[in-house]
Amino acid sequence: MNRKKLFILMILLLSLVLSYGCGKKAVDAPGDPREISAEERARLAEEERRKAMERQAMEERRLQEERLAREREQTQDERQAQEIVDEILATRIHYDFDSYELRPEARKALQQISEHMKRFRELRLVIEGHCDERGTAEYNLALGERRARAAYEFLILLGVGSDRMQIISYGEERPLDPRSNESAWAQNRRAEFKVLQ
Amino acid sequence: MHCRIYFNKTLFVFLFQLIVAVVLFSPVSAQESLKIDIFGPGQDRINIFVTQPRPLENTAIQDSQYPLEIQSLLRKNLNLLPFLREVPEGEILGGPEVQGVRGTDIDFRKFNLSRVDMIITIGIDQSQGLPGSVELRAFEVFGQRMVLGKAYTLHASDQLPQMVRRFCAELMEYLTGQGGFYHAKLAFEKKQGDIKEIWTVTPLGHDLEQITNIGAIALSPDWSKDSKKVAFTLLKDNQHSLGVWNRETGETDVHNLPGNTVIAPAFAPNGRLSVSIDPMGRPDIYWLTEDFRMDRAIMEHWAIDVSASFDSQGKKMAFASGRLGNPHIFVLDLETNRVQRVTYEGRYNTNPSICPEGRYIAFTRQTPDGHRIFLADLETGRERQISFGPGNDEDPSFAPDSYFIAFSSSRGGKYDLYLTTRNGDRPVMIPTGPGHATAPAWGIE
Repeated sequence: MNRKKLFILMILLLSLVLSYGCGKKAVDAPGDPREISAEERARLAEEERRKAMERQAMEERRLQEERLAREREQTQDERQAQEIVDEILATRIHYDFDSYELRPEARKALQQISEHMKRFRELRLVIEGHCDERGTAEYNLALGERRARAAYEFLILLGVGSDRMQIISYGEERPLDPRSNESAWAQNRRAEFKVLQ
Repeated sequence: MHCRIYFNKTLFVFLFQLIVAVVLFSPVSAQESLKIDIFGPGQDRINIFVTQPRPLENTAIQDSQYPLEIQSLLRKNLNLLPFLREVPEGEILGGPEVQGVRGTDIDFRKFNLSRVDMIITIGIDQSQGLPGSVELRAFEVFGQRMVLGKAYTLHASDQLPQMVRRFCAELMEYLTGQGGFYHAKLAFEKKQGDIKEIWTVTPLGHDLEQITNIGAIALSPDWSKDSKKVAFTLLKDNQHSLGVWNRETGETDVHNLPGNTVIAPAFAPNGRLSVSIDPMGRPDIYWLTEDFRMDRAIMEHWAIDVSASFDSQGKKMAFASGRLGNPHIFVLDLETNRVQRVTYEGRYNTNPSICPEGRYIAFTRQTPDGHRIFLADLETGRERQISFGPGNDEDPSFAPDSYFIAFSSSRGGKYDLYLTTRNGDRPVMIPTGPGHATAPAWGIE
């Protein structure tokens, strides 16, 4: 009985060993490149190309997203710049009769402009000096220059480069309000700002 | 009626006795010419009468339009002279008619009785075509003699105004020693919309012409002394520059100067141009070189210095300065470099114009009623108001004869050019059409 069992065990072991050997042989057989079929190679190449395309598509998607983000940011910057330009164009500082002294509110407005100028380095300004009609034309042309220059020099003190600004006096030639009364004259005694593109 | 005859007879007897007395006791004075001292107190007036046009001998007036136009032009031109008073036809006792154009054709007695001092006759000969030959004569009534006679041959109707101006110039020269007024041409600013260009016109409003076409703001014109150029301020492309219009070519050259301002260019008698520029950051008055580049400073100060005006000798320069806090008028002696303050009254004195002979400065003063023209006498230090509005009277400009003053005024609702004299005579408007007319400057036609 024991001999019989041992014999069966031996047979099983032998068959196990044999079967292992056969299995190994079967696995090793395709490892030889000479044995890969052309069809298989094409399939593998196709697989590789597909993966590369996927990688490329992913990269493109990423770049596009980055670009869009940048554009969004740029548009926002541009919009902000336009808002700043509009704000500068709408800024008017006013003066007393026959005076080019900057009032406190004028200094505040100039402070604001100087901050914009520091933020948007490409901005260049023309500062226009204007007068009311009560003086006479030639003296007003000189007074308008002093008014524009007072604003110009204050902006320089605030750190704006002189090469980014120019001044012109229009004297009494360009009134905002053509009427002849105190409120019109007060409006017309002013400095205005134009942005050079 | 009786009263009138009695009066006339009495007057006639009186005048006759006066004439006899004058002839007997001072024969020379009867021969003295009729003269006006325009530099005097401005009280003298000459009564003048322009007669109806008459045909010259053996001709007939076929076309009455030209002769009547000549008469009208003569009246209008002579009306510009404040020392002449035109006697209306109705005031001529015995009627205004004359038999002809020569002394022998004129009944001087009736004009003398009508207090006419001077008669102008107009002789017309249309036999050779229209407008024809014209003879203009001026007679002194009291002396019964011709003092001026001129003959002209006209080929075109547009020669009429010039002919009349020439005759009036000679008549004014005879009466006052100064005739340049009728050869004058004024340059000025004219505003249309937002644009100002430089125009020219004669004192009577003839030959109105736009000389620049820049499409920008052109200001403060000034003629060179030879009247070949007009310099002006140009505001264009965010900057001031100097415009110089050349009469020969009709072209305008634009010159850029250092700094940000080009204000009130003014020619000196030596032909040099001065202008307020600000290379130092404040408007100061500088000489320019012949090719319109910056030369040396005439007047440097931390305050505003503008509106230079030179006398004919080039010895004095009047200017407006803000050095005392408010604008006042000063005069610089160009030989000694001494600055003399001219105005002490008022808080806003600008636009000085020194008369060529150098004694008077006309300027604009802001008064509670608006700007007015004042005249300062540099010899006595006195000043007086010579314009009275309404509105604003600005930009006085002395004529080369030191007698007439052109200025701009808003008295008519818009700014127009007006003529007065340094005696403050009644202003006469110079027609310049629609649009504000300002900043007159005198040149020669």
